[in-house]
Amino acid sequence: MSNLHLRTCAIPILVVALCALVAAGCQSEAPAPSGGESSIVITIPEDPPSFNGLVTDAGFDSLVMELVLQSVTDIDPQGNIFPELAAGLPTLENGGVVIDEDTGAMDVTWTLRDDVRWADGEPLTAADVLFTWEAISDPEGGIWLQGSDYIDSVEQIDDTTFVVHYTSVFPGYLTQFGGDQVVIWPAHYCDAAQGFVAWDCNRQPLSSGPYVLTEWVTGDHLTFARNPEYTGAVTPSIDQIIVRVVPEPAVRRTLLTRGDADLDVWVTESGLEELKEAEGLTTSLAPTSRWVFRLFPNLVARGTTDPAGTPHPVFSDVRVRQAMRMAIDVDTINQQVFFGYGKPVWTEFFRPPYDVCEVARPAYDPAAAAALLEEAGWVDSDGDGVRECRGCGTAEDGTPMAFELATYGEYGPELEQAHQLVGEMLGAIGMQPSLRIVQGTVMWADAASGGTEQNGEFDLDMYDDGYPGVDPTDHLYFYYHSYSAEPDNGFNVGRWINPDFDALLDEAYTLDEDIRRELFCQMAEILDAELPQILLFSAVNAEVHADRLQGIQSTANDMVTWNVAAWTLAE
Amino acid sequence: MLKYVIRRLLQFIPLLFLVSIGLFALMNATPGGPLAAHGGSRHVNPQRAEQLRRQLGLDQPIALQYVIWLVGNDWMKVDADGDGLAESRGERRGVLRGDFGFSYRTRQPVMDEIAQRLPNTIYLMGVTLVVVALIAIPIGVLSAVRQYSKFDLTATTLAFAGQAIPEFWLGLILILVFYGWLNNPFTGDPLLPAGGMHTLGAPFSVLDWVRHLILPVTMGAVGWVAWYSRFLRSGMLDVMHQDYLRTARAKGVPERRVIYRHALRNALIPLLTIFALDIPYIIAGSLYVELIFSWPGMGRLYYDAATQRDYPLLMAILIITATTTAVCNLLADLGYSVLDPRIRYE
Repeated sequence: MSNLHLRTCAIPILVVALCALVAAGCQSEAPAPSGGESSIVITIPEDPPSFNGLVTDAGFDSLVMELVLQSVTDIDPQGNIFPELAAGLPTLENGGVVIDEDTGAMDVTWTLRDDVRWADGEPLTAADVLFTWEAISDPEGGIWLQGSDYIDSVEQIDDTTFVVHYTSVFPGYLTQFGGDQVVIWPAHYCDAAQGFVAWDCNRQPLSSGPYVLTEWVTGDHLTFARNPEYTGAVTPSIDQIIVRVVPEPAVRRTLLTRGDADLDVWVTESGLEELKEAEGLTTSLAPTSRWVFRLFPNLVARGTTDPAGTPHPVFSDVRVRQAMRMAIDVDTINQQVFFGYGKPVWTEFFRPPYDVCEVARPAYDPAAAAALLEEAGWVDSDGDGVRECRGCGTAEDGTPMAFELATYGEYGPELEQAHQLVGEMLGAIGMQPSLRIVQGTVMWADAASGGTEQNGEFDLDMYDDGYPGVDPTDHLYFYYHSYSAEPDNGFNVGRWINPDFDALLDEAYTLDEDIRRELFCQMAEILDAELPQILLFSAVNAEVHADRLQGIQSTANDMVTWNVAAWTLAE
Repeated sequence: MLKYVIRRLLQFIPLLFLVSIGLFALMNATPGGPLAAHGGSRHVNPQRAEQLRRQLGLDQPIALQYVIWLVGNDWMKVDADGDGLAESRGERRGVLRGDFGFSYRTRQPVMDEIAQRLPNTIYLMGVTLVVVALIAIPIGVLSAVRQYSKFDLTATTLAFAGQAIPEFWLGLILILVFYGWLNNPFTGDPLLPAGGMHTLGAPFSVLDWVRHLILPVTMGAVGWVAWYSRFLRSGMLDVMHQDYLRTARAKGVPERRVIYRHALRNALIPLLTIFALDIPYIIAGSLYVELIFSWPGMGRLYYDAATQRDYPLLMAILIITATTTAVCNLLADLGYSVLDPRIRYE
């Protein structure tokens, strides 16, 4: 054959070869477990750092942790705490909790189920709980855990019984070794010498949960098989779970719609909107939300951190903060940017079981907001649309009502659009916000690392935050207590000081739920009047899954995999 | 020649030392820090922050952190338990002894993390570069030889389009068309996979691996083909009118030989520089391709390390990339002398 022939034929040959290659690839993208076993694919955007949700607290670690490891207790989507490894919940009433009236110390006696085994057949006992606590509390290789400041010691009584000795009352004791971060680790398998944060079993866990890890190709996928030793209340019916790492949200959604993925986690509002008409898919919404978009006004002069120092020229006057709240149309932002999936939130006490306080929803009333600013001494005297201080008392006369409104970039376009809308709404009442987007790793870094909030280098920040679990006490302490106004002591970065609030919060460290509710409602009133933070609306907590995958229930209190053993596949 | 190579290699040592100081200083001078990536809540609890600072070695002055990164801390005593007393020896051996430290995020040795990703990136980018060379070189040569022909005009137009198309957008469109819309006529399944290196759970098949390469290689290659072919075209046009080619023709050398033996060889010299500087991509990976096609490679590892301030991982990737760049520059210089005997290094 001549060269000419070769050249002429080359292109058709190549095309035919390519087509043959494509056509020959008859395998579906769906996983193909052997022997007709049932299998599902969960997509997540990034690799879990490990199976230890307490170390990095990235979310993805806890998500896979729930597949293989168990906690003493867990929290359901409604906020009810239920025993997982425990045989029951210790309370004052059943004698499981004893408080020493003289010293204030608290002992909590836990009894474990006696039928739980590790995947290698070894029994899970109180010795494993003690081992886990010692590893966590080791100052060298451990990690700080909520409530650990109150723990004096953990004592093993027998194979199924252990006592946690607290130095004082800790209201969150029921999830001390539970929730979405803490699980019990096997004493006979993990090497304590390697340290809790770095031991090998964080990445090669020995399972006590419904599934065992069979393969982990980092950055690509993790494969799990049913754990034959699992003795939970429900026996898992799905044989294999593949957790596939797919960074791009559009690709995750396409995999879902083509049936090559069964569950996409933490779907954003725009993703929900895009998928709501898709055939064969169901959205699961958490009954409550954790993350609340909010404004954090700095009450002291920018660049300072002393609560008693120079007040912030704009935000130190409570009337300005009240006017801002009235000027922001939460419903419009929710509809325009979050497709109506958000829910208006105006108090910290909006989640069960503490959603009992009667705090009226603030009205959207820009005219009243403008009047309040006039009253506070902020007047647009030169008609340029921006108010100036005219007797405001917190700045020199003539100072324009200008400030920086910052948010963080990692959340994505939704927050950036909401940020712009808030800026426009504040501008409409004569304020002059300049918008800025910074990295979260800069905004929330510690003082020594140049964190803008800890160093007071901000005027008004906007982002989402909320507390894990169901106990808000520590969250309130770190956000509103005067102790937390000191740089790096906590997150009271607005430097809001209120001794009455401090006293109520200190009292709230009690187990008497009636007293706690009463105290929380008093705190709610103070927060509503003083507005150290301006709460706007909650973000959605949702997952989208294939119709064939049943039993999915999104939750703000845990990961969606909290009830993985109960998931089933429809025929 | 050998002397020259040794001299150049020795020059790398102070160069990499300076680069490492510069990178370390820049990284730490950037506002923010790794602790903020360690909280499920937006802020890190103060007690946790203090413990993390100690465990990650961030409680030391920056200069000392660099020294520890370089030579380790097993020669000094450290305060591992935070009681204020430095009572135990450190465990780090330092980069000079092959220890790049551990990832802040996974607490795994940095080199283990890189070793898991590097082969995947070399595989993808190596295939992409070969495909680029196989397509771009013939297009560049033909465009120059048949200047202003229909082929040249078409290639030029497509090259401009190829350079102008945003890579990210192209990848999404490829997935939409070849995965989302088009089906395999025999099975009804998507025509090509949307990502990953192979079908999960399926037995090994070369065909399956090749199918997973088609879209990411296409996405990665389009811009490169456009750029290389244009570059080679102008290089060829430069040498096509040189005297030595006229001489070759006058001596009766066949035109094919003139083009491929005499012209292309000289036109490749400037292209070699570009190519050599692109070789580090084989190590560093292509972020967008890896993000869109869920490819577990170095680009994503670097991106995650940068956004989460995983300094040891970031430093290791940057140093490896810097070293590769330096070595490839040397290789390019040596390549000149192979292609052009007039170039000599002493």
